[in-house]
Amino acid sequence: MHEYSIVQALYDKVAAQAAERRATRVHEVRVRIGDLSGVDVGLLDTAWRTFRVNTICDAAPMEVERVPGDDLILERIVMEVP
Amino acid sequence: MCDSCGCGDTNLVPVEVQQRILSDNERTAAHNRHHFAERSLLAINVMGSPGAGKTAVLEATARAAGDTRLIGALAGDLATDNDARRLAAAGIRAESITTGSACHLDAAMVHHALHHLPWSDLDYLFIENVGNLVCPAVYDLGQAANVVVLAVTEGEDKPLKYPVMFHKADLVLISKVDLLPHLPEISLDRIVVSLQAVMPEPKYIAVSARTGAGIAEWVKWLHDQEPNQDARLERSRDARPERSRQLDHHA
Repeated sequence: MHEYSIVQALYDKVAAQAAERRATRVHEVRVRIGDLSGVDVGLLDTAWRTFRVNTICDAAPMEVERVPGDDLILERIVMEVP
Repeated sequence: MCDSCGCGDTNLVPVEVQQRILSDNERTAAHNRHHFAERSLLAINVMGSPGAGKTAVLEATARAAGDTRLIGALAGDLATDNDARRLAAAGIRAESITTGSACHLDAAMVHHALHHLPWSDLDYLFIENVGNLVCPAVYDLGQAANVVVLAVTEGEDKPLKYPVMFHKADLVLISKVDLLPHLPEISLDRIVVSLQAVMPEPKYIAVSARTGAGIAEWVKWLHDQEPNQDARLERSRDARPERSRQLDHHA
C-alpha cells in the first residue's frame, strides 16, 4: 500500500506548482501511470481522495492516463489563479 | 475564465508539468549511487516475501565470502532489529531501518541509515528491503542490482502473481531448495518457467542457506558485479587517509 507515499510525492509537486503561480485552488490533476509502474490505479485514486481533503486540491479529480511501461508522471494541473 | 467584465471570476489555467512523481526519491537514489560509485562499493537491493529467506541467504553469503570481502547490510523491517542482530552475529556490519508502518524502503531512509553505518570501506552493501513483493519494487535506492529471494515453498506461480517485482529483478535466488524432496507437488522447473514469463533477461540461482547449495555460484555472481577492479585498487591505495574525514562528513 505504497500508493499513499506516491500521493504524498504527487501532492508536494502539485502544491509547489500552485504556490509558484499563486494559485488559489487546483481544479484537476492529470497523471500518466504505466502498467509496470507497480501502482494500482484504484488505490491511488482512493489515496488521492483521502489526501486532498482540506488542501488546495480539495475536490480536484485526478485524471489517469494508463500507458505501457513504468511511467509515473505528473502531466498537467488545472489551477485557478487570481 | 473571465478577466474582462469585472465580475470577479478567476482564471482557470492549465499548466503542463511533465515531471516524474518520484523525482525526489530518484534524486536521493542518484546521490546514494554516487557515494557507492566513489567508494567502488557494490550495493544490492535484496527483496522478497516475508519469510523467503533473505536474512538466511545473507548469513550464508557471509560464511562463503566473509573472508575475502567486507560485507555490510541495512535491514529494513516494520519493527524489531532482529534481522540486523542476526546479520551482525554472522559477521556482517549491520544496521536496522525500522520503518514503522511503511511497506518499503526509500532512498532517503537508506541515506539516513548510512549515517549510522560505517560503510565507506565495505566491498558489498546489502540493503535487505521490507518483506513485500509489491511496494519495494517501485523505489530506487541507489543499488547496482535488484536481487529477489523466492522460496520454493511460496508456490510455482508467485512470479506470475507479482510480475512487477520479478520484472525488475536482475537475479532471482530460488531459496530453500533443500526442502524440495519434502514438496512433491513443487517443481523447480515450473518455478523457472514462471520466472521466464516475467523476467526480461531470466537469471536465477537455486540456493539453500542451510546446506550451502548454490551459494558458491551466488558469490561468483556477486564477484562478477563488482565495480571496476582498477578503481578498487586505487581506493585501497588512496582512501585510508581520507576515511576519517569522510566518516566525519557522514556522522
